[in-house]
Amino acid sequence: MSDKAEKKVSTSIFKKRWKKFKTIKRGYYSFLIIVFFFILSFFLPFFVNRDALIVKYDGEYYFPVVKFYSAETFKQQGVQGEANYRLLKQQFKEADSDNWVLMPLYPFGPNENLLDELTEIPPTPPNSEHIFGTDDRGRDVFARLVYGFNIGLSFSLVVSFFSYLVGISIGSMLGFFGGKIDIFGQRFIEIWSTLPFLFVMIILSSILNPNFLLLTIVLTLFGWMNMTYYIRGEFYREKARDYVSAAISMGAKSSTIIFKHILPNALTPVITFLPFIIVANIFSLIALDYLGFGLPPPTPSWGQLMNQGMQNIEKWWLIATPLLAMFLTLLSITFIGEAIREAFDPKVYSRLR
Amino acid sequence: MKPENILEIKNLVVKFPVSGGLFLKKVAEVKAVDDVNLEIKKGETMGLVGESGCGKSTIGKTVINILKFSAPGVEISGEVWIRTDEGEVNLLRLNNNEMRKYRGLIQMIFQDPYSSLNSRLSVGQIIEEPLLYHTKMSKNERMDRVAWLLEKVGLQAEQSKRYPHEFSGGQRQRIGIARALATNPKIIIADEPVSALDVSIQAQVINLLQELQSEFDLTLLFVAHDLSVVEHISSRISVMYLGKIVELGPGEKVYHHPIHPYSRALLSAVPLPNPKLKNKERIILKGDVPSPMNKPSGCVFRTRCPIAKPECADFIPVLELKTVEHFAACPYVSA
Repeated sequence: MSDKAEKKVSTSIFKKRWKKFKTIKRGYYSFLIIVFFFILSFFLPFFVNRDALIVKYDGEYYFPVVKFYSAETFKQQGVQGEANYRLLKQQFKEADSDNWVLMPLYPFGPNENLLDELTEIPPTPPNSEHIFGTDDRGRDVFARLVYGFNIGLSFSLVVSFFSYLVGISIGSMLGFFGGKIDIFGQRFIEIWSTLPFLFVMIILSSILNPNFLLLTIVLTLFGWMNMTYYIRGEFYREKARDYVSAAISMGAKSSTIIFKHILPNALTPVITFLPFIIVANIFSLIALDYLGFGLPPPTPSWGQLMNQGMQNIEKWWLIATPLLAMFLTLLSITFIGEAIREAFDPKVYSRLR
Repeated sequence: MKPENILEIKNLVVKFPVSGGLFLKKVAEVKAVDDVNLEIKKGETMGLVGESGCGKSTIGKTVINILKFSAPGVEISGEVWIRTDEGEVNLLRLNNNEMRKYRGLIQMIFQDPYSSLNSRLSVGQIIEEPLLYHTKMSKNERMDRVAWLLEKVGLQAEQSKRYPHEFSGGQRQRIGIARALATNPKIIIADEPVSALDVSIQAQVINLLQELQSEFDLTLLFVAHDLSVVEHISSRISVMYLGKIVELGPGEKVYHHPIHPYSRALLSAVPLPNPKLKNKERIILKGDVPSPMNKPSGCVFRTRCPIAKPECADFIPVLELKTVEHFAACPYVSA
């Protein structure tokens, strides 16, 4: 072998697929955009918030974005509880003192009631101050949308993770051990799959108060079954191959065989389905919120905004903005899914261009 | 066990159940291996030949005790003794945990070099794996041994970071051989190790196996259907037909002077590279191999045997000594 070939960097299958994924621009850029905005959305309090970033008052610095200050701290008149920093900024300006307030880029909070400041009865249409208008309780729609993006996507990732965890564990057990475990396990999954999700959810939310944890548990309980079929099938196929026999003949334990040998080879359906499952879970949360069985108010959520929009059908911004946000999010995640599927496809030209 | 033997197979019977019907009841069984006795001496190469489906691979997989995993309902009876440093062990009496201890002594080379290597692991990880289970080597020691093994099988130590899909079939089979050698085994089962390779590569791999055998004092059970390959490498050859050994003897003798009518037919079918010999007598057998689910009574070969007699249906022939160390399971032939 020549020296040149020797220097060639060796690539694992995963790296090869990642390279191929990167060449599919639509999916790759969607991936970058979604990841960027998702990470950014965890720092939303620094960009979209009613609380000021920094306040300089009487020679001292205050950081309201991380700490609570009552109105009395700044000798603010006519405000109960936490200081109103937008008002404070105006007051400082009028007083023309050394004091100043640095507000975030978009100075409205997601759960902040603006009834006192609004000149019209909410919901008010979009204007330069509230770019997507306000909802029927006088809250800023844009702020609710961006916070809702973070909550929706985080929720969906958590649910997808746990349903994958359960689905993959049970699916690999069925596939690896086979026999009676497989037969009874599958019958159980079939029976479990016939439980109507929405009814159970309605019954549960009439007894218990829905919250993030309860919704995660319920959606996981109803979401793990599908993955078991794929993983079980993959395990059946992979365990018949010689490298598994080789691992046994080398003396590997069952757990080593499952996790080190078979699972990495059985992950193709897991990874290719992931974006679509994330989409499905985002959608589930929106649907539950829309029906009123979702996250408790006043959690910012797209479904709840759409519900308002349906009740005030002539206020177009209440229905158009969450729909647009949902459309863009789901579209880009679907692009990612399509690109991943393509990257895992051994055929080169199977995508419609 | 006889003192010169390292592996003894006694009365081995392997039955695969055939299930059917609504409740998957056992409706029939296939006796893939039917009362096989085989003794393998330390340091020798035992060639096991026969056509597809005669049970030769099943014997290899039974000896290494992986059949129960790939075919859960299989029924195995008989004994497989190996000689270890602590005495003789019957492998068939061990459960999976007890068996694990002896796996370092007896390793296998698989037929298909493409599916026998896990494509997710690098070559170094593949070869070091048995070391993880059978030795207490540190990471550096393992990597040194991997590099040494790679050079032993004719690859380069730097290639341990590569992945299997970056190698050709012959190179992959060398990786498989390096993996089998990693724990210094005493016995290696080679399950058709060259039949998936093209002819030019076959010779390289066979020669490599021979070199390694003499260097490491290995005992080989070489399963194959290619007679010329088996003749080249084996010190003794056993010929199988429908789950039974019909002839057993020194490689030279079985290859050039077969005794059993089946071996004669099988060996007359070997293509010769000498055109002058093209008028060599060829024995064409009638019919097909009977279904292993429904074997003929008495001698299993009698339905196709050119010298069959009516009495052949009445008794099961056993291996008889015909000449020096040369056995055949037919009372009507002689050397």
